[in-house]
Amino acid sequence: MRLETRKLLDKAFSGLGLIAIAVMAVALLLILAPIIWRGSKAFVFKGTIEHRRVMLEQFGRGNAEKYRAEAAEVAAARAPVYQMLNDFESEMKGMERSERRAYKKPFREVEKGIKVLLGPIPGERMPVLLRQQYGQTRWDRTLVKLHEVLYSEEWDYSNPEAMGVLVEKPRIDLFKGTKLEPLFPYLEDHIEEMMRPKQTFYWQFITDTSKDSHIFGGIWPEVLGTLYLTLGAMLFAIPMGVVAAIYLCEYAKEGRVVSFLRICISTLAGVPSIVFGLFGLAFFLNTIHVSDSKSVLAGSLTLSLLILPTIIRSSEEAILAVPRTYKEAALGLGAGRWHTIMSVILPASLPGILTGIVISMGRAAGETAPIIFTAAVSVGAPLKIWETLSQPTPALPWNIYNLCTEHEAVDEIRHVQYGMVFTLVAIVLLLNLAAILMRARISKKLRG
Amino acid sequence: MSSAASRRQRFGTLLGQGFLFLVTSLSTFAVFFIFYFILKDAVPFFKEEGFREFFTSAHWYPSGHPAEFGALPIFMGTGLVTLGAIVVAVPLGIAAAVCLSDLLPFHVRQFVKPVIEVLAAIPSVAYGFFALVVFAPLLQNHGGAILSAGAWIILGPILALLVTVLGDLVLGRFSGSKKLGAVVFPTLGILAFLLIHHVARQLSGVEISSGTNALNVSVILGIMALPTVVSVSEDALQAAGRELREGSYALGATRAETIIKTIIPASISGILAAVILGVMRAIGETMVVWMASGNAARIPDPWYNMLQPVRTLTATIAGDMGEADHITGSARFHVLFAMAFCLLAFSFIMNLASEIIVRRSRKKLGK
Amino acid sequence: MTEEITMKKIDTFAEYGEAGPAAETQVEARDFSLFYGDFEAVRKVSLKIPKKKVTAMIGPSGCGKSTLLRSINRMNDLIPSTRAAGEMIFDGHNIYDRNIDVVTLRARVGMVFQKPNVFPKTIFDNVAYGPRLQGVKNRQELNEVVERSLRQAAIWDEVKDRLSANALGMSGGQQQRLCIARALAIKPEILLMDEPTSALDPKATAKIEDLVGELRKNYTIVIVTHNMQQAARVSDLTAFMYEGVLVEFGKTRQLFTNPENPQTENYITGRFG
Repeated sequence: MRLETRKLLDKAFSGLGLIAIAVMAVALLLILAPIIWRGSKAFVFKGTIEHRRVMLEQFGRGNAEKYRAEAAEVAAARAPVYQMLNDFESEMKGMERSERRAYKKPFREVEKGIKVLLGPIPGERMPVLLRQQYGQTRWDRTLVKLHEVLYSEEWDYSNPEAMGVLVEKPRIDLFKGTKLEPLFPYLEDHIEEMMRPKQTFYWQFITDTSKDSHIFGGIWPEVLGTLYLTLGAMLFAIPMGVVAAIYLCEYAKEGRVVSFLRICISTLAGVPSIVFGLFGLAFFLNTIHVSDSKSVLAGSLTLSLLILPTIIRSSEEAILAVPRTYKEAALGLGAGRWHTIMSVILPASLPGILTGIVISMGRAAGETAPIIFTAAVSVGAPLKIWETLSQPTPALPWNIYNLCTEHEAVDEIRHVQYGMVFTLVAIVLLLNLAAILMRARISKKLRG
Repeated sequence: MSSAASRRQRFGTLLGQGFLFLVTSLSTFAVFFIFYFILKDAVPFFKEEGFREFFTSAHWYPSGHPAEFGALPIFMGTGLVTLGAIVVAVPLGIAAAVCLSDLLPFHVRQFVKPVIEVLAAIPSVAYGFFALVVFAPLLQNHGGAILSAGAWIILGPILALLVTVLGDLVLGRFSGSKKLGAVVFPTLGILAFLLIHHVARQLSGVEISSGTNALNVSVILGIMALPTVVSVSEDALQAAGRELREGSYALGATRAETIIKTIIPASISGILAAVILGVMRAIGETMVVWMASGNAARIPDPWYNMLQPVRTLTATIAGDMGEADHITGSARFHVLFAMAFCLLAFSFIMNLASEIIVRRSRKKLGK
Repeated sequence: MTEEITMKKIDTFAEYGEAGPAAETQVEARDFSLFYGDFEAVRKVSLKIPKKKVTAMIGPSGCGKSTLLRSINRMNDLIPSTRAAGEMIFDGHNIYDRNIDVVTLRARVGMVFQKPNVFPKTIFDNVAYGPRLQGVKNRQELNEVVERSLRQAAIWDEVKDRLSANALGMSGGQQQRLCIARALAIKPEILLMDEPTSALDPKATAKIEDLVGELRKNYTIVIVTHNMQQAARVSDLTAFMYEGVLVEFGKTRQLFTNPENPQTENYITGRFG
């Protein structure tokens, strides 16, 4: 090969490597960006008067006086809408039967749309479902719903060759010349007065319970459940893992038994997470009955098995990183082995062990498959600490899955889903950040 | 010290050590328990239904009358998705590992490492959410554009390399002058460009009927497996050592030649272990495939069609257990354990293989 | 007997070293310095390495002798944040010039390292590695190169029957001679040896030293060693370095028997180092 070509290939090769790194970084960015951007909108958004009403009525939060004053102004702005609806209804009564029938369905659609947008019509009976008792709480959703009132969607199959095309038709065209015609421009022009969007920082999203399966409110039961599960898992895994690491590093003599132990640990690390879930179901619930049905306890036990290998390995590394001289010095002073471990080796390796623990905490918090059959439910109240022994709990990872696949109003609560993913990713990444910082400090210390 | 006291002390030490050993062997018990309890609930299925249908039939109707338990499509789905993930993760992962170990200067590496750590830390359900809520609609609405962009990204570098090598071959044959080079390289380059352009044009016409399909899942699983592949193979490349690199450079090799001809062959077993671990990550992953694979238990037509929905073992277990839970003891319940056992056995074998490979390579390199 | 012959040879080159008039020079350093970050590992060294002679570099560890050696084929480039100043002239060019191609340079300079670093390939592939890089594909040509190099490295008889065996299966001494063969296969104009026997037992060391004696007929050799006896045994000229500075450079016999510099004397008489 000619020298020029060799060098060209060398450059191309470096280019490939850099492309790989770039692709990886871009992938990370592409995945995190929507989660962070749209997730933050669960916390910071333009809230409407309806949001403030929910806060006041459901969570007892906010200034009632101020709300009432604002509500009065809003009611005044909305009054013409209801007036127009009324007027048109009476107009319909005077129509001929066929004409009336033609108007009836579109009119009901408009009426329904307005209820969804602004909440129930004053004077009518309060609906039972909480979600129907309020209008749109978020400005972005308000605009979507307004659009749905203003335009109807129809499929256009006029071209038999192509697939159907979705077309939007202004509803106003249906009501030309009636008393309902001015409603549409009025809605469009006065929506801000009727909804009063205000920049809102809803940090209580994390600490509020959810109302009407996540249509309103926050994600506290899920956050708390995740907390319980993670801490529970650590409760079991830390003592087992650290003790095992101490034994493997300080007591065990390399031989068949230890080599077998190591193979078992690495096998455990390789077991797919869903198999852990099945095992948890078959063993903790169906065999030794730690609780009658799914519970936080069963889930924690299952998760602790999952993270055990990680904790053992990282603790082992941390213990092995302790300079041998420390140990020899302590032993030389006549300290017993156990004493040496407790007073010299563990304190010296503690930061390293903690790093491993923090990383496994992130892992335990994010795992879904092991808790599906052992601990997680879709809806539930925040648990008291003693209830964790017998009760299942909602948890962030499981409810993310649940809300975006099985919820009956998937599109309405995108912000909640994103908010949950954001919260979970934030928890996990903060834990990892803590680990990275700890590791940096340790390596600084070791370097001198 | 009296002899009784010393005996008591020795006994205490022994007891303590025994306790430590017991705690340590808990993980051993865990492994055995897992195997035992999964197998225990898997055996009734095989006893009742036998092996043949499970492994060879393509009909999966566990709730039908009579129920059919042909898991072949599910095995194929798992295989297809895993294959896709390998195609994404292995070339990218090894290239990135080489870049980290041999190309990037130290201070840049410090910025890249966290990228890998964060990729590894993101919970699988978040990846699944991304696949379902962001990526699937994109694929569905702009499938053609995404596919043709993918063709550019994949074929571009490959053909660029090919053009270089081919051009050199031509020049070598005619002991080429500079003038010839000025003709050969642009010609080949334009040809390659036209080829990619053509492929991309073809692909841009493709319409994807559902964004939740094997392709979506493969890409996301590939990204999830990347950190494992990168970090394990980077370790292997590092372990090849400075001496080998210097030996090759001193003979007048370029960096690419050193890496391809010496370092990668020397660390091939570590890289293989990395690939195995990456495969295990992809096969064992539940949430992403459950959320974004489409969960259709049929063999794609043709079998390699990545644009059709598929179903995997993990997703079947996760999805069907909810329905099978209250019918504990039925074949529908036990078949899920049979699947879990297949998963378990496979990952056990893979794990063992990677362990053996790594050990052997360590011995070979004398470390 | 051999001792005498060696001495005579050196005598004929009595004019070499800093004292004598310029003879045919292979490599020349002119005020050459090399920095690791802020640390100046080699400090303004000037010396001429003559053709087809063995030049030894001695000095306490950390004195910069290896660094200087590795500067001759720019091996230090691989270590981040190194920087060179002054000139290193090889074949009429300063090899640290911007337009010098490192790959070509290294293909003209062979190098043998402290620890035998054979590639985990067959013996044949190890030796053929360099020629293949240069584009030699013809099998017969490769066979010839491999045999010639292995013969020159005095290892042909030991390995001729197992050329396709993995090189890692050989003993340390054999591996090191294979490394020499591998370096010779690229027909280098100069052979750099960086403490080539430090990882070997005395018997293997003796073989390598004999080999160096053979090779001096055809090659320019620069050898770094921490073993003064070795320097005295194998080299024609010796350079003594201390803390990055070239303290003394001259005929080996003269440097060992009658050093000009008191530091040199202290070192070779074992008072420090």
